[in-house]
Amino acid sequence: MPVIVDARGLACPEPVIMAKNAIEKNEEITVLVDNEMAVENIRRLAVKMACGFSVTEKEGEVRHITLVRTGAPGQTPVDSEAIAAEMSCAVASGKETGPLVVILSDNHMGRGDDVLGDILIRSFVHTLLQLKPRPDKVICYNSGVKLAAKGSAVLDDLQQLAKDGVDILVCGTCVNYFELGDQVAAGHISNMYDIAETMAGAGRLLRP
Amino acid sequence: MEEQRYVVFLFPSVSYALKAEKILKAAGIAHKLIPVPRHISSDCGVCLRATEDKQQDLERELQGKVAWDKIVSL
Repeated sequence: MPVIVDARGLACPEPVIMAKNAIEKNEEITVLVDNEMAVENIRRLAVKMACGFSVTEKEGEVRHITLVRTGAPGQTPVDSEAIAAEMSCAVASGKETGPLVVILSDNHMGRGDDVLGDILIRSFVHTLLQLKPRPDKVICYNSGVKLAAKGSAVLDDLQQLAKDGVDILVCGTCVNYFELGDQVAAGHISNMYDIAETMAGAGRLLRP
Repeated sequence: MEEQRYVVFLFPSVSYALKAEKILKAAGIAHKLIPVPRHISSDCGVCLRATEDKQQDLERELQGKVAWDKIVSL
């Protein structure tokens, strides 16, 4: 039976350090982790320490990772602190650093040519559906609100995003200005307080 | 629920795709301009997607008006 290292619920770099310490003393270990970052970090540790790496089991969020030493023990001494510094603890999945917010401030993407800008924004919004990590919020303002109105070529994409749990804020002042009051068919009408707050609280802002 | 099956029409350039879109819009045939899926290579970054059952309608409507490179099932 391989040694079990239970790193569930622990934050980076704890799981990768525990795994490193255990594999230095054992030929084979199984590490239990519950986040993707730990999996990636341990995968890199395995490369560094010449270990076989495999995810052997998955129950919900919990992954069982098996590491098997293939090189000679102590052949590649690795410093714990160096490992911790190198592993991507800072590159957290959006949630830990604040939400990923997409700003649609125009119904075109980029400046220069509006026909092209129209094609690009349609491609961009459609691509948001497959983007990983998925945006947490989308804010539409200025002519960007037209994207959420009836007749928009990306209305179905925005509706799907909303269905998938993405919060879509549509600027009420802008809807009023363009007289689209009864035309907005994706997301919910919002105001500048919410829009400014959402932008201020974002981990990252994405603006096409 | 059965998953909707799609085909995409690939064109030699963006302007072909746009022209095709105009024709389909005028003819009232449902379609969607999307980025070319990653696994398909194409110089032109956009393509037209339609449900599988609309493929022949699209072909008929575009025949002789806009040339397409190929049709790929998704």
